[in-house]
Amino acid sequence: MDIPKVSTSKTPYVILALGVLCLLIGSYIGLAVAPAERFMGDVQRIMYVHVPTAWNWMLAVLFSLWCAIAFLFRGDMKWDTRLEAGVEVGTLLAFLLCCQGAIWAKPTWGVWWDWDPRLTTTAVLLFAFLGILALRKFVEDPVKRAIWSSVATIIAAIDLPIVYMSVKWWNSLHQQQSTPSTVSSQFHLPLRLNAFGVLFLMTAFIMIRSRIAAYRLRQELAEPPVRIGEEAGELA
Amino acid sequence: MTGVVVGGWEYVIAAYSITALAFVIYGVSLVTRLRESQNHD
Repeated sequence: MDIPKVSTSKTPYVILALGVLCLLIGSYIGLAVAPAERFMGDVQRIMYVHVPTAWNWMLAVLFSLWCAIAFLFRGDMKWDTRLEAGVEVGTLLAFLLCCQGAIWAKPTWGVWWDWDPRLTTTAVLLFAFLGILALRKFVEDPVKRAIWSSVATIIAAIDLPIVYMSVKWWNSLHQQQSTPSTVSSQFHLPLRLNAFGVLFLMTAFIMIRSRIAAYRLRQELAEPPVRIGEEAGELA
Repeated sequence: MTGVVVGGWEYVIAAYSITALAFVIYGVSLVTRLRESQNHD
């Protein structure tokens, strides 16, 4: 098996800075410039972080699925390092999504949590990804770890279209999917800026995290150092 | 009951704060872990 090379370019940090800039400007417009929504009032401003988190979480799950399929077909361990990164960042975004959703639900629905189809299917995927991270922690053989977590990711990702369609398939408390076509044009700019902000941040996080995974893999695959005594024993 | 949510800035601040905090903590942990990995390599 080839020992993966690790890039040392500064690109992730540039993308990270770009993401922070987009989020700062987008959040400023969302909090201070954009008008309050007619019925939800100021609480609707949570949308400018919640919806971009949701979109990018779905992208993180799709990225993880792509890496899992690519690894199983090509057997290249670089896809496994990317999978590890995608699953970890996806877990972070899913956790944030549930927290932001609960905070928005309390003043609008009157409860922090409801076993609504959208919320339940999202929570299922969050716990599935946590399970994959736990699996990766406990399996020491890099090849077995890569195969098992790829298969687990593909199984977990089956839930993604169910999450997306849940608001259409079932009678859900959660509103329909929010896109620029379903919200007022006054809300477009902060929504788009924050969406790009989270996208850049997520991309940078995945790039950095996959480097960490690649370093660990290099250490695991590296030959153990030959001690002088052993070498002398072999020669004798 | 008018069906209109009044106030609620505390929820908005909570949502933005949790998001910012999570991104900052995760970002710092990534940079720390990357440095440790580079030192071990």
